[in-house]
Amino acid sequence: MSLEEYKNDMQTCCRCSACKFIPFENVKGFDNVNVCPSISRYDFHAYSGGGRLGIGMALLEKRIDYTDKLLEVIYNCQMCGACDTSCKYAMDMEVIEPINEIRFACVESGHTLPILDKMIASLRAQGPMVLGTKVKRGEWAKGLKVKDYTKQKAEIIYHAGCRTCYDQSMWHTAQSVIKLMQKADSDVAIAYEESCCGGRAYQMGYREVALNQAQRNMDMMKKAGVKTLVTGCAECYYAFKVLYDKFEGKGDIEVLHTSEYFNRLIKKGSLKPQKKVNLSVTYHDPCHLGRQGEPYIHWNGKRIPGQIILFDPPKEFRRGTYGVYQPPRDILESIPGLKLIEMDRTKEYAWCCGAGGGVSETNPEFARWTANERIKEAKRTGAEAIVTGCPGCETSFNAAIKEDVNGFKVFDVVELLAKTIF
Amino acid sequence: MALTKEQYAAFEDIVGSAYISSDPVIMYSYSWRSGLYAGIDNFTPLFEAALLPQTTEEVQAIVKLCNKYGLQFKATSTNWGPYNDAAGPGVLKIDLRRMNRIIEINEKNMYAVVEPYVIGAQLQAECMKRGFNCNQNGAGTNCSALPIAAHGGYGHLSQSGSYGERNMLALEWVTPDGEIIKLGSLGSADEWFCGDGPGPSLRGIIRGNVTPLGGLGVFTKAATKIYPWSGPAVFPIEGVSPHYAPSQIPPHFLICFYSFPSLDMLDEAQRKIGESEIAYELMGFNAAMAASNIATSNEEMVKLFKEFSGMVQGPCCMIIIVGDSTRDFEYKTKVLKQIAEETQGKSLDKIVEDPKVAGGCLWRWMRSTGSIREVFRATGCFGGEVGGTDTYRLMADYIIETGKCKDDLIKKQLVYNDGSSPFTQCIEHGHTGHGELLIRYRPDATTWNGLMEFMAKANNIAINGHFGVPGHVFSDAQHDIYGPHVSNYHLWLRRIKASFDPNNASEGSHYITVKK
Amino acid sequence: MIEETKLEKIVGKANIDRKRTTLHEYSQDMSFIHPIRPEAVIKPQNTAEIQQLINLARQTGTPLIPISSGSPHFRGDTVPSIGGAIIVDLSGMKKIFRVSRKHRVAMFEPGVTFEELIKAVAKEGLRLNMPLLPRISKSVVGSILEREPVIMPKYHWDIADPLACTEVILGTGDVIRTGAAAGSGTIEEQWAAGGAQKEAAGPSSASWYRVIQGSQGTMGIVTWISARCEIIPKLEEPFLVGSSKLDKIMDVVHWLIRRRLINECFVLNNVNLASIMAKNVTRNKHQLQTGLPPFILFFNIAAYDYFPEERLNGQTKDMIEIMQQVGLDVVKTLGGITAAELLKTVQQPSTEPFWKLREKGGCQDIFFLTLNDRLEELVNTMYNLVSESGYPTSDIGIYLQPIVQGVNCHFEFNLPYNPENQEEYHQVRTLSEKITKALINKGVFFSRPYGEQTRYIMNRDAATVAALKKVKAIVDPDNIMNPGKLCF
Repeated sequence: MSLEEYKNDMQTCCRCSACKFIPFENVKGFDNVNVCPSISRYDFHAYSGGGRLGIGMALLEKRIDYTDKLLEVIYNCQMCGACDTSCKYAMDMEVIEPINEIRFACVESGHTLPILDKMIASLRAQGPMVLGTKVKRGEWAKGLKVKDYTKQKAEIIYHAGCRTCYDQSMWHTAQSVIKLMQKADSDVAIAYEESCCGGRAYQMGYREVALNQAQRNMDMMKKAGVKTLVTGCAECYYAFKVLYDKFEGKGDIEVLHTSEYFNRLIKKGSLKPQKKVNLSVTYHDPCHLGRQGEPYIHWNGKRIPGQIILFDPPKEFRRGTYGVYQPPRDILESIPGLKLIEMDRTKEYAWCCGAGGGVSETNPEFARWTANERIKEAKRTGAEAIVTGCPGCETSFNAAIKEDVNGFKVFDVVELLAKTIF
Repeated sequence: MALTKEQYAAFEDIVGSAYISSDPVIMYSYSWRSGLYAGIDNFTPLFEAALLPQTTEEVQAIVKLCNKYGLQFKATSTNWGPYNDAAGPGVLKIDLRRMNRIIEINEKNMYAVVEPYVIGAQLQAECMKRGFNCNQNGAGTNCSALPIAAHGGYGHLSQSGSYGERNMLALEWVTPDGEIIKLGSLGSADEWFCGDGPGPSLRGIIRGNVTPLGGLGVFTKAATKIYPWSGPAVFPIEGVSPHYAPSQIPPHFLICFYSFPSLDMLDEAQRKIGESEIAYELMGFNAAMAASNIATSNEEMVKLFKEFSGMVQGPCCMIIIVGDSTRDFEYKTKVLKQIAEETQGKSLDKIVEDPKVAGGCLWRWMRSTGSIREVFRATGCFGGEVGGTDTYRLMADYIIETGKCKDDLIKKQLVYNDGSSPFTQCIEHGHTGHGELLIRYRPDATTWNGLMEFMAKANNIAINGHFGVPGHVFSDAQHDIYGPHVSNYHLWLRRIKASFDPNNASEGSHYITVKK
Repeated sequence: MIEETKLEKIVGKANIDRKRTTLHEYSQDMSFIHPIRPEAVIKPQNTAEIQQLINLARQTGTPLIPISSGSPHFRGDTVPSIGGAIIVDLSGMKKIFRVSRKHRVAMFEPGVTFEELIKAVAKEGLRLNMPLLPRISKSVVGSILEREPVIMPKYHWDIADPLACTEVILGTGDVIRTGAAAGSGTIEEQWAAGGAQKEAAGPSSASWYRVIQGSQGTMGIVTWISARCEIIPKLEEPFLVGSSKLDKIMDVVHWLIRRRLINECFVLNNVNLASIMAKNVTRNKHQLQTGLPPFILFFNIAAYDYFPEERLNGQTKDMIEIMQQVGLDVVKTLGGITAAELLKTVQQPSTEPFWKLREKGGCQDIFFLTLNDRLEELVNTMYNLVSESGYPTSDIGIYLQPIVQGVNCHFEFNLPYNPENQEEYHQVRTLSEKITKALINKGVFFSRPYGEQTRYIMNRDAATVAALKKVKAIVDPDNIMNPGKLCF
């Protein structure tokens, strides 16, 4: 696809500003109505979903050029997809796709941000997508007795992801995943030399790099005979489940988030949450597990000429309806002693953690601000901790609560599950 | 005509460097054309700069500088309609997004005070927590809750909750020449409860049944009446987008959708319903709008519209009843049933029988979230006939007449064929009414020309048929057509403009300008 | 000064009155305003005559004072502020053009009184949202243009109600119609199309009716209005609540209005209720007064066409629940006064003599708007000031009228006095000024300033005054319309 191919979508923006807010039916009060961190922070209309669609049209019509300001507006966006979901409550049009396409256009015409180039250069060399790391990719699995699917066949694999591999503070979650899977008699394998899923590169605008990563990973997995891929990173989940399917490379591999996988095991009786975990928590839906995590819908058609927007064949839009919302909640609710309190902005209209779209690298202050907003919302529920299912979210929240004197905590769902099992 | 360095610096001194921009990327995003009355140009004339003030004092300072430099300004809240745009160079955008506080909700005296960027949903939700409700703009709950921000401000709750022209109490106004006038009790007593006096009411010069559309300064705070609400503090919505519905319809709530064999019968029904004061909402949605509201995609909408069209016997209306007590609810329900029988109303069961569907419709029409679906999803653009306000029947007849012109457009395939059934509504228990003819279209040159011809015919119908001044009448050209037939109102409007905007600083291309 | 012949050409000799006694009558009223004699009293009969009059007045710089009610006048707005003025007495313009049951509207001229209009609309099953006991000579148009509070807050959606449209001749001599009446088409053409001149706002982005209201004739002369009417109920059940606890009473009022349970609703103190209901004021009033609680709430529950008994029954039960929650008792009779007779009384204008004048012949009203939760405080302020002055506090009348569906409250103090008694006259005059200033400082809003305190009230809001002067310059550039009133 190219930006031109999204022209009809961009032209359909009527300027209603729904993209700035949570779906209005769910507004419960004055607070917590905003859903787009970008415009909430920067206020000019350009920073909204609708604003960027207008910019996309201006680019197509060559009214503006690839300036620093353009890059600043386009890249001060976590690519969380909230604008897309809110818009599609009422409209039949794509929002996050053309916004991503603008990034591709930037990169493909040689305009990007140096720090992103640096990360991608590292990725191209199969290096880390986490800048400044001092650990090696497979180090987290040291001491674990788990096979390597790059060396032997494996039907079920666990993909840790860059944000886990290269961040020591995330290792315990990955280690818990393996232990839990093995406790449930799963013959899980990993890749000690994992390859980045390429998902974040895609969101940053590096389409070709992402495609290359997809090819690489799928070749590896097909060779190993993988049937099920489990990951605890929402970005990786989105990459494998949605993007690879979009690239038509996923094949028949079943992609599951750790919450989906473990929820199955609990329901099957293979894992029995027994130990009490006395804690009140609130759950944060990662963007790429929730609203963006629903399956990709293949469609190859065109608009039917005429006044009304209809397609041949009929086009089903991804509206965030079928994201992974319930399994993590089911796990939490199965843990004795744990109390789950919901925030105002949940599920398909959850507020972003702040980390996505390259923002934690290109504008750490904005990422921190976004995370702070979420932590404020979490604290207002009265919960003692925020729980989520993505290392990116966890890192972002941990940075935000660093100086928290009241002991507010951040957990992964798997961590809490491990507490009740072991 | 770009701002000079000195001018830019002066404006920057007011709002701070983070809240002013003249960068083309920012400017073009503001100039992306609205879907309402979308023309063939994708972009409207660029603003010279966009500013985001946070206080009334900052707004005043900006306005004064515009007067000093010979610049114009256009202030906007949620920035949806075409009246938020500039007509040419030399205009500053005052984006009021940062003025977003609910100042006060006074329960004992039943009013709320808001800044321009409080949206309807926010105010309604806060009101509901306290046992109140507030009118929502028909365009949607995504619009400003300020009772003078919208084009007209009539909405779904107008049957029991009136609309902006009637609901507004005191107001804080930065005039086009930079004075601050506080209307009514606000100016005299620093209280928000009354917008009129001392003596004559200045509410009379700042809006009519339509607002001045950004051409008469900046309205920075306003008080608005709030209305009783006997429903839950938080409506129990479940589901995942786009399928929201209440887990169950709360007690003492009822939604009905009737079609009638003729407009005479519908007129009679709305009159009786109004006189018996039983309806919380009464909206004359047609089958197309109902289908658009319920459907979550255009595909689904087309199917539903076909189904509904086969199920309705004529013009329709939706009624919501809310009981303040069991007795009250039972009475209202009984009366509605009786009236429906007397006027041969036929229920569209597909909407009201399934509690999930009915509940979803009830909340969407209560919260006013379905308007984007109803008017924009089909084609991305919406225009058409926005009638005025007067007796219900007069407004309905106007739409019926202009509907015949819409039939021509449909025949030529210039607009989406959703029929030409009227959309009507009642205000204040049927004392007045309003009507609109939805025209959904994709903007291209042929369609646009067709629409212009249609509007000319619609204007002729309004004038020759004595249907009053429609709400879509704005800008000099339209006022000059209507004015001579309507007490020369345009000349008086120009005099207000000339007197209060001596330097022509408030961009009035959609309101009116002072012509030589 | 306008030449006599020119005046005669317009209105006819019989409609020009320069008699000394007549001029004396119009030179003063029951307010404390300084008397100034007009030059003549003219009685035009139609729009064309008035328009010609205004054009002539513009040429000669002659002030015009429009009046529509008969005497006595109370507020000072009908007394010239400068010499050389002509009174334009519209009280003879008594046409009732239309009463429409379907559209719940009536259209009539300024000379129509409440008694006349009540009869006319009743024939169609309609009634007016009336002020409390207007005097028999009061013009309906006059009352509505003055924004007098009305006694059915449920039907008072906006402070301008029940006003709909107007025809007004501005000080420029232009005839305009406001609201839906503006056009297109003649009124008859609009009726034929199905219009009923119901929408007050507009046309387009101005609502001139709001500028005309409250202007005390300083903007133009209204030649007719259309006014919203309500339906006569099938059943009515009035009630009384007596208490010394004003806050509890207002709590009840809030809920009754909020729940839309009631039609007529107002609060009087014992003084005012006794003044209204006493059959013989000299003999009965004090006895009646002492037999009543300090404050009396009156309200009426009504039911219309559909299942009226059920409706009345249900709303009555709902009302009783509210009473029980607040802790007040509702009765049908209080101190010898029945709710039924009070209802009957207030659905008509005052009988003669006008109720406010019955006891002493004169009465000074001090009225303003305020918030519902401030009333007790303001009553106390008032009583303190009055008792300092020596005026008998037992003579103070209080009238509280919730308006705009309960958003705020018209608060009225009535100070009866004998205008022939110089001491009483000066006492009340001084007190009036003192009270007004004290209450302004308490944050009440004198939305309808009259008489001697007008300048003081208007000058509190310089920005509004400046804006009003701009409006005045638009519609009356020669300042011939009641000059000297308000801030003009």
